[in-house]
Amino acid sequence: MSPGESSAALSLRGLCKSYGPTLAVDRLDLDVPRGSFFGLVGPNGAGKTTTLSMATGLLRPDAGTAHVLGHDVWSDTVHAKQLVGILPDGLRLFDRLTGLQLICYSGLLRGMGRTVVTDRAHELLGALGLEEAGGKLVVDYSAGMTKKISLACALIHAPRLLVLDEPFEAVDPVSASTIRQILEGYAASGGTVILSSHVMDLVQRVCDRVAIVAAGQIRAVGTLDEVRAGLTLEERFVDLVGGQTDLGEGLAWLRT
Amino acid sequence: MVAHIVRLKWQLLRNGLLRSTPQLIGLIFAGLYGLGLLGGAMMGLIGLRFAVPSDVARTAIVVGGSALTLGWAVIPVIAFGTDETLDPARFATFAVPRRQLVLGLLLASLVSVPALVTALLGLATVITWSRSVLAVLVAPVAAAVGVLTCVVLSRVTTTGFSAVSRSRRGREALSALMLLVMIGVSVAGPSITKPLSTPGLLPDLADVLGWSPLGLAWAAPADIVDGAFGSGLLRLALATILLVVALLAWDFLLRGALENPRGTSVGRVRDTGLGWFGRMPSTPVGAVAARCLTYWRRDPRYLVSAVLILLLPLGLLLSSLTGSGSGWPLAMAPVTGYLLGWSMHNDVAYDGTAFWTHVATGVSGSADRMGRLVPLAAAGSVLLPVYATLGCAITGRWELWPAVFGVGLGFLLAGFAMSNVLSALKPYPVPEPGANPFSSPPGAGGLTVILQMVAGLGTVVLNTPALAFGIGALMGHSWMAWGALALAVVLGPATLVLGTRWGNMVYERRAPELLAELSRLR
Repeated sequence: MSPGESSAALSLRGLCKSYGPTLAVDRLDLDVPRGSFFGLVGPNGAGKTTTLSMATGLLRPDAGTAHVLGHDVWSDTVHAKQLVGILPDGLRLFDRLTGLQLICYSGLLRGMGRTVVTDRAHELLGALGLEEAGGKLVVDYSAGMTKKISLACALIHAPRLLVLDEPFEAVDPVSASTIRQILEGYAASGGTVILSSHVMDLVQRVCDRVAIVAAGQIRAVGTLDEVRAGLTLEERFVDLVGGQTDLGEGLAWLRT
Repeated sequence: MVAHIVRLKWQLLRNGLLRSTPQLIGLIFAGLYGLGLLGGAMMGLIGLRFAVPSDVARTAIVVGGSALTLGWAVIPVIAFGTDETLDPARFATFAVPRRQLVLGLLLASLVSVPALVTALLGLATVITWSRSVLAVLVAPVAAAVGVLTCVVLSRVTTTGFSAVSRSRRGREALSALMLLVMIGVSVAGPSITKPLSTPGLLPDLADVLGWSPLGLAWAAPADIVDGAFGSGLLRLALATILLVVALLAWDFLLRGALENPRGTSVGRVRDTGLGWFGRMPSTPVGAVAARCLTYWRRDPRYLVSAVLILLLPLGLLLSSLTGSGSGWPLAMAPVTGYLLGWSMHNDVAYDGTAFWTHVATGVSGSADRMGRLVPLAAAGSVLLPVYATLGCAITGRWELWPAVFGVGLGFLLAGFAMSNVLSALKPYPVPEPGANPFSSPPGAGGLTVILQMVAGLGTVVLNTPALAFGIGALMGHSWMAWGALALAVVLGPATLVLGTRWGNMVYERRAPELLAELSRLR
């Protein structure tokens, strides 16, 4: 293991994944330094979710490696998984449990003691403004509340690395700023956050480092200012990813 | 617009069939089987043309046609879940004039295999009735009305049910209702079928059905053939009115579906405590067990299995109460043990993609395996002795208690062992969480049957020693009863340990692949 890898919270090397003939992730390399607040941006279908799933042990890569704080996700699985908290996108929850039960389930599955789990779960519910909802079934939650309860599940074991897939989707502005505060405090205390999003503005505001992904590869990576290169993130993103159609005289019927 | 909707349905049907090769193969087998049945039925209908008293044809067609119509109205709701392919609610955002939408959806629902089969059967009845010129004129009209009524009735019931089931609470109330109906049918079933087999009753039944909404259209040509022109035409007119009424009802229900496409339900606070999570040991096994226990109570899909497991052995009890003192109640404990053990073989599929929580937390394979068994192990520890005792008390053969209990215990543990391996090896589609628990997801037929058979056969094979001794005891070698119990007590746990080890190995090796398969099942 090179020293560069051990200092990274997450280090991906040559990750590949294809679904049938479609190459979703194509020899992707990425290093996320410890303590960074890292944004992964890319158009729909760029391979963000696939990459994050392979980095967290949810999806086995066709080739390549993933290390979390020096532990290989796919061979030193137990240690790697203890260090990571995940908020996946597009997967179900055990939603017939109440919010409180779901958080506790995530903690107990990791072998934590009941008293610790319950104390933390109540604190998390309080911090996320879910005290009232803690006794309701998760299946009856709104989309935003579901995101928040998933975040609580990801935080319960105090992970060193948080991997969040679209954490702000469907979350109202007030909750979003609560989540941001929690995450910023977490990063300031030495934790590492990786989040994926396609809301450039948000990534620009919260992340100190970004990577732009398109067609399963990293197009640009570095600190926010390095990647932006004097433009806004959105302009840079469109530059790099391309594909924006020049409307010209098209859709003329739409302009009244 | 109408053509658009029909083409959409055709496209959906085709794409649904071409999704994967195993599905296609399963479909071909199902198709061949269905073709055989259809061919037989059509030959029968054509053969009825030559039945000497036309009464036979009347009885067969009226009873059969009524059953078919009833099936169309009821089966789509209970067996397959509401047909989501062309859910009217999905058209809510498109400004399709409702008249065209009704016509389009009606024609689209004719584009389906069951509709084609029904139409062919209707066509065959025309041949059955080709006994006079007037009959040849009336029969096609009656058949068309009959077939259309089938299709429209199924639309009415599915649209109606989906209106109720738009909220989660409504859905759960519905499945509870269906569960009650099922219990009613299984309890009342034997007492209904008995008088049916007495001669002379079927023609009477046909007379009643022939004037009921279900059989009007099917009985009309029979009257014409018999020369009763007045009642024949009256039936045809009534059948047509019924069709129109059903269409109007459907139109009315569609309006509801289009104007309130998604119901909302407000959750209420269930309990503020930890529930089972506070009572189970705070270990990963305890957590999985607590989650499963909660699910057995709250998830309608589990509730349905629970009721079925409880009900089947009671059916055995019932058969002995009505009939002569047979030995069937002795089978209660073994059957319960078998069902309890066997029913776990696809448990991971019920998690759906929520299974990611297990993968992400890195919970060990054995904790996942053992935790899932806890609810049914608890149920078994109560049900097996109770049913064994009941069975022996009713038959008065107390000397068989060790055999009956032993075989039941053996089945339970062998089934658990099988399930621990199979559920980690290969999940097959089940209704999604919150979906109609009676629905069977499309296209899984072949795989489902094979896996269920493997699980069943494996359970029986693994329990062969105890079973053999149990049968020996039943034959009169009473010492073998204790042998069966001893074998179950010794071999059962050993089998379970081996099965769990193997299942653990499989799980540890391919938990991510399992998750990937589960997300493909959706």
